Amino acid sequence: MSKLDNKSFMVCCANGAGSSLMMKMTLQKVLKKNNITPSTLHHCALAEGKSAAPNYDIVFCAKNFLSTFKAAQEKGTVVLGLRNIMSEQEMERALREAGLLDG
Amino acid sequence: MASLLQKIVERGHYKFVDSAGSWQEAVKLSTEPLVKTGFVEENYYQQIVDCITKYGPYVVYDHYVAMPHSQENADGVKKTAVGFMRVKEDVDFGTDEDGEQKIARLFFPLAACDPEEHLDNIMQLMAVFQNEPLLDALLAAETPEDILAADAKYPSADGGDF
Repeated sequence: MSKLDNKSFMVCCANGAGSSLMMKMTLQKVLKKNNITPSTLHHCALAEGKSAAPNYDIVFCAKNFLSTFKAAQEKGTVVLGLRNIMSEQEMERALREAGLLDG
Repeated sequence: MASLLQKIVERGHYKFVDSAGSWQEAVKLSTEPLVKTGFVEENYYQQIVDCITKYGPYVVYDHYVAMPHSQENADGVKKTAVGFMRVKEDVDFGTDEDGEQKIARLFFPLAACDPEEHLDNIMQLMAVFQNEPLLDALLAAETPEDILAADAKYPSADGGDF
């Protein structure tokens, strides 16, 4: 059983229409590859994401939006910024570095 | 079913230019074929420019790829589509917050109002963005026939099952 099973995920970009959808697909591939079943996987725009972030366990965003999620981080949400939103390797590395993924 | 690039060519949503000036002008140019066919209104590009000005060049990815877009159902979007523009000279989007220079020569502007079609476009586009031989061929493309030949020679994965 992975530490990530039943966790809630949110992916977020400025508009919720382009990069966040791509990030969601990257995350779906990473979760599938590692046999992880999340409780929820939500994608949205920054405006919604900023207030909704504390309700999720893990939030992914493009790294330029990291500072937006300070409040959520203080409440215990793990917020991970990505340089390349399409890179499964980078996403896995971020999860490993956060101690959420073994290997 | 037609691939994303085939659809772009069929609809005439492509443009080849040598230089595009500023990134703002490049964004505008990239949306012109979508304006001509009535998929977006002329002012749509301004929302994209405003968004990049506000949030930084996060729509510029690896391998000279930019995906100018605004939100779903943005003002001025009439139909869902992806456009294509190849610029010979680098278009400089400036540096991101870590000082990384963001340069683009391949533009894929998005217009989205039909969620299902848009999702399909995004999935196909993501496969294109990860297909480096195809991107190299697109960087060298001069005509719509070149786009089709590149697409046939380097087919993209379907993005996987979701």
